Amino acid sequence: MIQQYINSGILEAYVTGSASEQEIRELLYMKANHPEVNIALQELEKDMELIAQQMAITPPERTWNRIADTIDELILRQTSNPDQFTGREDNNYKNFTKPDTGPQYIEVEAESNHMKVHKLWKWVFAAVFVLGKIFLAFAIYFYLENRQAQQQLKEIKTELQQLKR
Amino acid sequence: MLLGYIKEVVKEQAMAEQYLIELFNELKTADINEVTAAGVNTFLRLQQIARKKLSSFITTVEHCTDQAEIATKKAITGNKFIELMSSEQQLVFCSVHYHGKTITKLAAELNKPEDTIRLLLRESFTIIRNNRNDTAVHQ
Repeated sequence: MIQQYINSGILEAYVTGSASEQEIRELLYMKANHPEVNIALQELEKDMELIAQQMAITPPERTWNRIADTIDELILRQTSNPDQFTGREDNNYKNFTKPDTGPQYIEVEAESNHMKVHKLWKWVFAAVFVLGKIFLAFAIYFYLENRQAQQQLKEIKTELQQLKR
Repeated sequence: MLLGYIKEVVKEQAMAEQYLIELFNELKTADINEVTAAGVNTFLRLQQIARKKLSSFITTVEHCTDQAEIATKKAITGNKFIELMSSEQQLVFCSVHYHGKTITKLAAELNKPEDTIRLLLRESFTIIRNNRNDTAVHQ
């Protein structure tokens, strides 16, 4: 039964990442309960490594340097887990040399120069902008009309005065 | 080894190096813990992550199912184990290993039962096993 399962090809599908979710669940159960399955899997993993060794390429040093920089950064980030600073003592020096305490951080409420507004305001501002432009156009139009009318009135007045004479 | 695998997929050294760098740089703490956990084959786990990352690239390259490609120059060259496989075994192995296809998807593409695909995959591994002089489990 177990040998039949091992021979079914599911293990090969698993190590190549081509097994279905159900097959993976089943295999993990079988692996946990049957050492033979676990041994067979380890052998397959060796086979996979063997294939990879055949095609192995040594990465150039520059590649490793670029990878190492990021890994170092990750490791540093992982170990630093500061607690929140809770209080101060009157004697200032004690604040720097508290025994058995790791790194601490002080929560600072920064004053932001930005404010959050509802997305609806975007349309309101757009409408105000468009209306502003329309009013400006109307204002210019009526100003010019008015100026023209004033000019015509002046001309009529001049003509009338000439006629009276 | 991982660079070799990626190069087999992307077929270009510079691009493979870039993928390798990105792969490691994108690893999260949880991934590192998982990859380095006891009982886990680190290389295989990284290879699975690489396969996932390369999935978008894989969809843009030629398929292993291109029979003409296989018949003329074989999908994978330079690997003594893979070269020992028959065209059919190589097609299954290439699709699964280098193109990240699932057994179900491949069976549908080749219009063959899933069991046949699994059997072909198993035969591929048997070839590898027989040529490393270790037949402890595969018989």
